[in-house]
Amino acid sequence: MTMQFDQLSITDLAVHAGERVILDQIDIELKPGKIVAVTGPSGCGKTSLLRVIAGLDPRVSGEVRFNSHTPDDIGWPKFRRQVVFLHQRPVMLEATVEENLERPHHHHAVGGRFDQTQATARLTQAGMKEGILSQAARTLSIGEQQRISLIRALLIEPAVLLLDEPTSALDEDAKAAIEEMILQEVAKRLLAVLVVTHDRQQALRFCTEPLDLATHVVREGRSFD
Amino acid sequence: MINPATTETSAIPLGAVDLTLAAGLVIAAGLISVVLRLKMEKRLLIASIRTVVQLLLVGYVLRWVFDLREIILILAFVALMIIAASREAVRRSRRTYRGMMLYALVTLTTSGLITTVTVTGIIIGAEPWYQPQYLIPLMGMVLGNSLNGISLALDSLLDQLCLKQDEVDMLLALGASRWEAARDILAESIRRGMIPIINTMMVVGIVSLPGMMTGQILQGADPAEAVKYQIVVMFMIAAATTLGCMGVVLWSYWHLFTPQHQLNVRAIHRRHE
Repeated sequence: MTMQFDQLSITDLAVHAGERVILDQIDIELKPGKIVAVTGPSGCGKTSLLRVIAGLDPRVSGEVRFNSHTPDDIGWPKFRRQVVFLHQRPVMLEATVEENLERPHHHHAVGGRFDQTQATARLTQAGMKEGILSQAARTLSIGEQQRISLIRALLIEPAVLLLDEPTSALDEDAKAAIEEMILQEVAKRLLAVLVVTHDRQQALRFCTEPLDLATHVVREGRSFD
Repeated sequence: MINPATTETSAIPLGAVDLTLAAGLVIAAGLISVVLRLKMEKRLLIASIRTVVQLLLVGYVLRWVFDLREIILILAFVALMIIAASREAVRRSRRTYRGMMLYALVTLTTSGLITTVTVTGIIIGAEPWYQPQYLIPLMGMVLGNSLNGISLALDSLLDQLCLKQDEVDMLLALGASRWEAARDILAESIRRGMIPIINTMMVVGIVSLPGMMTGQILQGADPAEAVKYQIVVMFMIAAATTLGCMGVVLWSYWHLFTPQHQLNVRAIHRRHE
């Protein structure tokens, strides 16, 4: 169930921590094949920003539109299968790797069948062996889990990935593998990526557009513009 | 239909001496606790005193209630029972959210009344259906068991939602509807709530004779007749517990997941002891 993707536009978005506004006036336009890297002081609300865009946390003000439609128009599950948020620490179900990869295909909004051949191909591409499919996902290393988490998202072919520090817990090899997978996907099918990172090197290496949140941080109700 | 008139009442009456002797058994247990330093004697004492006081009180209250003929008064008494049961059901879980008590109340009222009234009005065929001798004890059994199930189900539900928040979020982030993301947890919670009654039903008559049936047999009733009553009561309790667990879990699901398919885990908080 792939949907034609023109752009994801985020307009005048504010991010709250409880009652308090921590970020405001955020405008992002994400087009196919673009990678926007979000940097900013730690604890400024980068993760919350992604969660609000994905609609996992409530949005108090501002607007998110997929093409010209709001998530409410499209339906939240259908919106989220296109705009997929990935947790900083990979979240695996208590099941085998294969069951983890298959699970999203049971979601009504995702549709389509789980393609085991494609899954195996992607695992191999990410430097893992086919035998890993039958292993318990939670027994794997964080690096492996992170790659599986990414593959799980890529298998449903979303239009946009919202990545929260995707390589922060990883060693250099695993980091390179993840970056490579993302770049390939961007080149191959014009995946759009919004990636939060504290690693400026990664931001430079990776992104087509930087977005520094420092200018959007709100303290005591005022914005540092 | 079971004919309520067939049960005879020929139990040997108990006097004060008999009750004191029974108390002696508990005191012996308390002494063992003292000797072995289990530190349970104080709690055992409090529990024993509470048992005596509560049961004596309820004995007098029931005498009064059984004489009631006004439907309003009987239903008011039932309402009190339901409120007390809801409070207890909600108090037992470690976590809570605003409005949980109301959901428990609505659920217990619905499941309790549907099952109990079906039994008194249709199966036993009491005339009228609200005859307190039937309605009140049956309601008591239904509520006692349902509140147990409901509190286990709620405890499990809120615990799992907090502990598995990331999993639920991950599924939602991958296009799951709130129902798809929550279904496993909801099913598990309902299952947990039903474990006690299922276990009871599995061993009933083999390991233990249920209190009500024992009471009837001690009263001199024909065991075959007591069994029929017990089957009806077991089914009534099982149905009420199932309905109660499902009701309260679904209400909570509806309350804790927003129409935007988000899990509002912030609404759940730990109970202040």
